[in-house]
Order: sequence, then C-alpha cells, then structure tokens
Amino acid sequence: MKLTALALRNIERNFKKYAMYFFSLSFSVFTAYSFLALLQNEQVSMAFAYDTRYSAMLSTFGIIIMVFVMFFLISSNNSFIKARKKEISTYALFGMENGKIGRLLFMETMIVGIAALLVGITSGIFFSKLTAMILLDITMASYTGYISFFIDFPAIYITAMTFLIIFAVMGLAGFRVISKFELADLFIADKMSEGRSKGSILLLILSVILIGTGYFLAFFGSPRVVVISSIPILLLVISGTYLFFWGGLPKVLSLLKSNKSSYYKGVNLISTAAFSHRMKSIGSLMATIAVLSAVATTAIATGFTLYTNLEKNTYDMLAYDLSYRDGDPSIKEDVYAIFKKHNIENIELYTADRYTAQVGISISGLDNDEAGALFGKEEQFIVYSQSVYNQLTELSKNDAKPVEISSGEAVYLGFYYFPESYLKQILGQKLLLPSDTVKVTATAKNKVASFGDRHSIILNDADFDRLLKAGDFSIISEGQQSAGAMTIINYEKALSSHQLNQDLYQLLHDKTKGLTLAYFHYTEGLEVFGLVCFIGFFMSAVFILMTASLLFFKQVMAAEEEQHQYKMLRKIGMDAHTEKQVITKRLFPVFLVPLAVGILHSVFAMKTADTVVFSNLIPVENTYLTVLAFSAIMYGVYAVVYGIFYFITKGQYSKIVK
Amino acid sequence: MQILKVENISKIYGDKKNARQYRAIKSISFEVKEGEFIGVMGASGSGKTTLLNILGSIDKPTNGRFMMGGKDIATLSKKQLAKHRMENIGFIFQNYNLLETMTLKENIILPLALRGTGVREMEEKVFSLAKDLGIIEVLEKYPYEVSGGEQQRAAACRALITNPKMILADEPTGNLDSKSGKELLDLLTYINKEYKATILMVTHDVFAASYCQKILFIRDGEIYNELHAGENKKQFFDAIIDVMSVLGGEVR
Repeated sequence: MKLTALALRNIERNFKKYAMYFFSLSFSVFTAYSFLALLQNEQVSMAFAYDTRYSAMLSTFGIIIMVFVMFFLISSNNSFIKARKKEISTYALFGMENGKIGRLLFMETMIVGIAALLVGITSGIFFSKLTAMILLDITMASYTGYISFFIDFPAIYITAMTFLIIFAVMGLAGFRVISKFELADLFIADKMSEGRSKGSILLLILSVILIGTGYFLAFFGSPRVVVISSIPILLLVISGTYLFFWGGLPKVLSLLKSNKSSYYKGVNLISTAAFSHRMKSIGSLMATIAVLSAVATTAIATGFTLYTNLEKNTYDMLAYDLSYRDGDPSIKEDVYAIFKKHNIENIELYTADRYTAQVGISISGLDNDEAGALFGKEEQFIVYSQSVYNQLTELSKNDAKPVEISSGEAVYLGFYYFPESYLKQILGQKLLLPSDTVKVTATAKNKVASFGDRHSIILNDADFDRLLKAGDFSIISEGQQSAGAMTIINYEKALSSHQLNQDLYQLLHDKTKGLTLAYFHYTEGLEVFGLVCFIGFFMSAVFILMTASLLFFKQVMAAEEEQHQYKMLRKIGMDAHTEKQVITKRLFPVFLVPLAVGILHSVFAMKTADTVVFSNLIPVENTYLTVLAFSAIMYGVYAVVYGIFYFITKGQYSKIVK
Repeated sequence: MQILKVENISKIYGDKKNARQYRAIKSISFEVKEGEFIGVMGASGSGKTTLLNILGSIDKPTNGRFMMGGKDIATLSKKQLAKHRMENIGFIFQNYNLLETMTLKENIILPLALRGTGVREMEEKVFSLAKDLGIIEVLEKYPYEVSGGEQQRAAACRALITNPKMILADEPTGNLDSKSGKELLDLLTYINKEYKATILMVTHDVFAASYCQKILFIRDGEIYNELHAGENKKQFFDAIIDVMSVLGGEVR
C-alpha cells in the first residue's frame, strides 16, 4: 500500500477525531485570510490606512493571531500523535522506519491541512463582504457605502504560504515526537504515571498569596498605586495562576482525597484519581486558558465600554457640537448659510466674552507636593460670571451643573484631565485679585468652557461686575492663548452628517481659534475603539476555539490511554449509569476549573483596567459595573462554547472507552 | 453446596440469519461446588475465553441456563448483570490490571466503593486482607512503585474483598516468569484454603492447572474430558499432559 493511500485511509477511519481538528484548522485559516483580506480591502484601507497607528494595530494583531495559531497547531498535533501511539508502534513493529512513519504522519497533516486551507480561504472569500461590513459599520459613524464582494489574491497567497510553513514546522515537531517513541512503549505503555503530582501545600499557599496580593492591590489600592503597580499586579496574578495549576490544584485534590467518606465513593474515587493522574500534563494548558481568557475578556469589555460610552465621553470633554474662540462676528452669517444648505433648522448659538485675570495664590506646603508645579505664586485665570457660566451649563450636552455663588466666594474649575487630588489642593484657599480677595468654596472639573484652559474661576454676578469695572479683568484677543470671545453652537445631525461637519470645518478652521467639532472627536474614538472591539472579538473567537479544541485533543488522548481501565472497571461491576457519572466527573473539571479561575481573574483585572483607563484617562461614571455586566455576557458565550466542546469531548471520550 | 450450574449453554456469534455465524460454544453443562478450585483448559479457539466471559456474566449465552444463587443469570438485564458481577464475582486478570491512577489501597477497595460501602468497613476489610497477604507496608504506594508479587497480591485482595461467591482467574500466570507464576498459584491455593474461596481458573499452562482440584477440558465448544486431582501430584500432572497432547494445546 502506498503511503498516500494509507494516509487517506487513516483520515477516513479517524474521521470523527479529524473533524474537530479540521474545523479548528479551517477556522484559523479563515481568520488569517479574512484578516489579510481586510487589510487589502479598498474601503477598509481607505478608512484606516491613512493613519499608521491603525495599520500598526492591525498588523500586530495579525502577528499575534499567527503566533497563537502556530502554538495551537503544534501542541494539538503533538497530542494527536501521542493519542495514536499504539497505531504508530504497530507500524514500527511491522518494520516501518521512523522516517517513513514521520512521512506518513506528515502526509496526513498535509492532506488535512490543505483541505482546511481550501475550506478556510473559500469561506473567507465568501464572508469577506460580511467581515468588511461589520468592521466598517462599527468603526464608521456615517458609513453607508457599498462594499463589494472581493477575492484578494495577495491575501490568498500570503495565507497559503504562511500555513504551509506552519504545517512544515508541525511536521518537523511530529518527527521529534516519533523519534522519542520506543517500541517497548507499546508494551509498558501507561504503567508509569505521566506526571502524577502530589502537589505541595507550600505552592498552594504561595499561589493563593500571590493571587490574593494581586487582587488586593487591584481592588483596594488607590488609583495611583494601581497605575504604578499594574504590571506587578499582572505578574503576581499570572505567576500565582501557574503555580496554582502546577502545585496548588494537585494539593487541593489530595486534600479532597483525604476526606475519605466522600472520596471512597465509587464515582469520586475513580474520577478524582484519574483527574489528578493527568494533572501535570494538563496543568499548564489550564493555567494558560485561565490567564488568556481573563486578559481577552478584560480587554474586550473595556474596549466595548469605551465604545458604547463614546457619545457621552465626547460631550463630557467637549460639551457642545461645535465651539471656537475669536473670529470675526460676521462669520456667523456664513455658518448659518452652511446650515441652510444642509437643511438644518434646530440651531443653538451662543456667544460670550471671556476675561482673564492675574491671580495670586498662596498655598502653604505646595512646594513639596505634586500640585506644587500646578499652582505658582501667580497664575493666569479665566474668569466667568455666574450667569454666563450657568448659561453655558444649560447649553452643554453633558451633566455640568449650574452654580450659585455668594459674594466674596468663587468656584474653581480645573482642566478636564486634572485628577481630583489636584482640585482638593485649592479648596478653601484665598485667591488674590488685584483689587479684592475671594475664597474658593467649591471646585469642579471644567466640563463646559474648556478651551485648553488650566485654571478658571466663577464669581458672583455682582462681584464680577464690580471687579470688571475696577479693571481687574481684561479681554485678550489676538495673539493670546486662552481668551477672547467664544462661540458655541449645537445643531442637528452633529454626529451623523460627515459633509455638514466637513463644510463647517473648512469654513472655520482658518478664521477662528480653538475650533472643536464633536463629530471629529467622536468618529476618531469610534475608529479606535471599534477597531479594538473588532480585533478583540475576532481574537477571542480564535482563542476560545483553539483552547477548547486543545482540551478536546488532550482528553481524547487520555481516553485512548484510559480505555483499558474502563474495561476492567466494567468487569468488577461498574454499571453503565456509574460509568456515565465517572466520565462526567472526570471531564467536567477540565473545562470548568480554568474557566472559573479566568472569570475570577477578570473580575479583578477589570477593576484594575477600570481604575487605570476610566478613572485616570477617560472619566466615565460607574464603569466598573457596566464593564462587569458586559463581560458577564462574554463569559456566558465562553461558557456556551466550552459547554458545547465539553459535550463533544464527553461523547467522543465515552465512545473511545466503550 | 452448589454455587453455580450451567445447563446446555451455547454461544453463537454473528447474525442468526447469517450463514456465516460462528458457534463458539456448542453445548456445555457442569456445576461448581463451594470451595472448589477448578481449572478450565483448552487450546486457543476452543471456546474457553467465551465460557469465562459467560461465567463472569460479561457476556450472555445464546441458549441454555446459567444458574447462580438460585437465579438464571442469562435472563438478567445489563444493569442487573453489573450488580451481579459486583456482588458475586471477583476477577483476577492477566497483568493484574490494577489502575495505575490509584494506590494499591484504593485499587483494593474499588469494588466496595462502587457498592457504596461505609468507610470504616472498607478500612477494616482492607487492613485484615492486606495484613494476611503481607502488603500492608505498601498499601499507599502506586502499582508502578511496587514489585510484581505485591501487585499480584493486591489484585487478589481486590478479588477477595467483596467475599465473592466465586473468583474467576483468566490466564493469571500468562505473562509471568515461572517464579512469580508459582507464587501466584500458591497464593490462589492459599485463598482457596483459608478463605474457602471458590476459584475457577482458565489456563493453558499445565503446571498452573496441576494446582487445581478438578480440570475441565474444552474442545470445539464442548467439554471433552474432565480430570480430578488425586493423591499424587506428579500423576495428575502427567495425566493433564496426556490430555493436552491430544487436544493440541501447548505444553510448557
């Protein structure tokens, strides 16, 4: 019989096992192709390629996927070869040389691989329109264009070449596994434990301490601590996780074993013993799954929360659809003309003068503090009257509150990105204006009138008029950074009409200062976070399928080796019902434990991400619960996919041990 | 006391309508009394493994009656069969078949654990058996950590722990060197005497068979001959060789 014929026959015989393998393989090809094709797609490249950040992000993602796919393929291939130890030893017994066996397995890998390549690329082409549409839809505010169905030859070429290289590496890895086989293994196989580990109480405690410290820092640390120690937290938890699966979990199992009244029940005895017997070979995989699922979930949930909070976030920062400083008053006529051209009728326009003042501050002890750099002895402040400020809050599209100020008092407004701790420094301090002194009785972040100003204060209307007359304030227009008349405009279709915003930008950007358009901020966020989400989803889909099928392979391999045990157990009187229970208890923890640890990790990881990203970089309120709720959905999906794989594995396992 | 009685059992493999059906056992009848140590001999393909599977109620006869404990085992359902195996039969396999995932102690209590026996009862039984068979020191060790003889004795303990009505031994000396083979046979003789265990051993090893009190020879699915041990062991051994040379089995 020729090798090719033998290879084909083997595939036919092992079809069920190969089917899973084939599916995972096809999916990785599909992912890689879709991805490369997306990069080449005209509309997508027009949307993203102008910015090198995006193309770098997409390429990085591509590389990560490839590395992951390679890791997955090599380890599943090795498991697969080991699962066929008997068959391979039989070939060797009949005098087939290792080289020839290697070639046979290589050929099988190639046949399955090339078929998967074809299926993957074909479905990639078939779904190319859909993937491009999803990407553009979630990243574009106003995308309505037509996406053509496309076949991308460079992408096909690159995908095919990359995978052929991966298959070749797999083949070589296979040779290595085979060369380690001894023919004698056929006879003494399975006698030795493949790594039963008793575990150690030290490792268990150490892993709990490591993870616990990480959790503690993440949950109770102040934002500053969390930001500084986010990498140490990550390292603590990751090393703790691996230690737990290497030494801690085996110890937990041996502790379970010492509870004899529950351990010495038939089902528990068989399943616990078998599970702990496999612990060493599967521990690393379980730890990896726990870590990766936590990272992936956290990243996606964070990205998705940012994505869904984008509109709120935009107005939190910019307050209005459009704002600018200075500018000839007559330019407003041109603005109205543009609105008319686009049939926009609901327009709010407000113009106010902005005043600036030199303010002396004396805060004791500031020199040693981080806020010391912020408040010098004398600073330039922007000054608003209470009524102008309240008018601004009314027009703003965020939750800025109007203020009520008594005479002699002032409300301090800090730059939007200042942390709360900076604001506290100035609360209660006296501000020395040229002809009077006011006391800061309240502070807030400047959400309504931020033109990049660092410090602003709001005064009581009467105080404001009096000081204005006294000449404490001045309007500074041309040549100055942060003052002058300001104009704000709210209008319909502010976030959806690209052309309208483009026209307004063309008109205003040369003739005014400090022009901000909510649309541009919004769309940029949409592109970045949309891309993050898209990549995240794609990646976790690949990741979850690969890890789940890797677990599948490991269990199928184990089933081949445990076959004779079940045969014996049946002889000494294990009935079919007990057998089912044993198999359930034997396999369920394999899927459940890593998922559960992953969930626990991400609850805390999300707290860290929440502190770092949301409290420090982009303030969004109550994000932790939002992120948690969203990730609960993701974990639901994980659980379902793992559940499906669990049942497939169970079915296959039961069939093998029958 | 009679433990087991088979009447005209036969076993046919393959579709009944199919012309290519194969009769592994044509018609066999015999009975086993309590405390007997019986050997079953025959060449490969004679039907002795099929007979053992039926006696161990792993397989059911196609026709005939198989009485044990007043019940016709042939009529039991699969689940009842499992229960019957668990309660009435102890197995000693070739290679001992201890689970490598468990310690010797766990292996021994396995049949009791499957029944749901209480922890204290299990512990007591394990300790008295292990003490008697001399493996109490290695109870917490895994099979691959102990000697072949110790594995053998653990397997015997596992077969004995449920106080089965009958112990079935399937080619127990098949894979052993002569020294370990003799040790095992002495062990079987010991449990036959001390525990009044009824043992039915399938073998094609003449030396092993010479330890039995009675031997059934099977040929082509039927009982060909029956031998009883006398006073003289040498004579018995020679008689077995004579029968086996006619049957065409290998003589060791």
